[in-house]
Amino acid sequence: MKWVKQDLQQYIQAKEYVDTIIVPLIPFQLSNDASLEKNAFQREVLSLFTRDLEKELSGRILLSPDYHYLASVDKETEINRMNAWIDDIQSQPFQHIFFVSSDSGWKKVEQGLKGTLIWLPAATADSMQPTEIQPIIRNQVQQVSELIRTYWKG
Amino acid sequence: MSEDKQPVSRRQFLNYTLTGVGGFMAAGLMVSPLRMAIDPVLQQDSAEGDFTNVQLAEEDITNEPQRVDWEVDQEDGWYESTVSQTAWVYKDDNGEIVALSPICKHLGCVVSWEGSEEHPERFYCPCHDGLYYKDGENVPGTPPTAGLDIYEHKIENGMLFLGKAQPREEA
Repeated sequence: MKWVKQDLQQYIQAKEYVDTIIVPLIPFQLSNDASLEKNAFQREVLSLFTRDLEKELSGRILLSPDYHYLASVDKETEINRMNAWIDDIQSQPFQHIFFVSSDSGWKKVEQGLKGTLIWLPAATADSMQPTEIQPIIRNQVQQVSELIRTYWKG
Repeated sequence: MSEDKQPVSRRQFLNYTLTGVGGFMAAGLMVSPLRMAIDPVLQQDSAEGDFTNVQLAEEDITNEPQRVDWEVDQEDGWYESTVSQTAWVYKDDNGEIVALSPICKHLGCVVSWEGSEEHPERFYCPCHDGLYYKDGENVPGTPPTAGLDIYEHKIENGMLFLGKAQPREEA
């Protein structure tokens, strides 16, 4: 389910079945020309990925709106704000919280996060068209949904 | 004699021609907006029989459900997008083609044929262990309360065409 009116109507009625939330972490900046394209492309790929993942397991997961942060921010500080999101999310009966990001910076501070970080190596933008990337994303979605299912079983 | 004929004066003649020509021009201008205005009415009929070639030949369809993916253009208000769709296609015991929607009737996850090793010969929903028989009917006692939707299908030139997924009629 997504954070849209129609899905949330359904969510409120089926709360006990939806125990997993996915929070995409997306860096934003406009100050550094050199990595602008890279950052934007990362965001595009990640949103395609989370959209497909949501489709695959929509009955049990809620896809949160993207969490944007300044690419230059100090991650330790940002974690406090993120955890405030999580505290709010946890007023609903969510058992599993997953962050999805291509920013490897989160890997180092993972312990401070109230949730599980799924780090996806970023696809490089050089020659790839959005159409070529579709099969790759589908494959990643399959693997990550396998991973999420192991959390459900355990 | 000449009075009976009521000759058209130069002024009248010009008036008539100008009105006539002006009328034609106005009518000409009206045609395209009118066509635009009634356009949705005209299109409705053709949209209903919307079938897509899913690139699967009839002879390749077996008794074992196989996954077919294809894309359709979807218009949502002014927003156009391509939506990928999936079906599980097989031939039943009578050789009839069956195309089932993979969307679980419980909360909309994607089910797959024999998706769990513990449940052979069943469609399996990974979210809440929903099960469906091969014909798409839900297995009682699992979360889904209805059978999987069925796609309209037709065969043209040996290729499979799929239309819209329809909920099954409840008996």
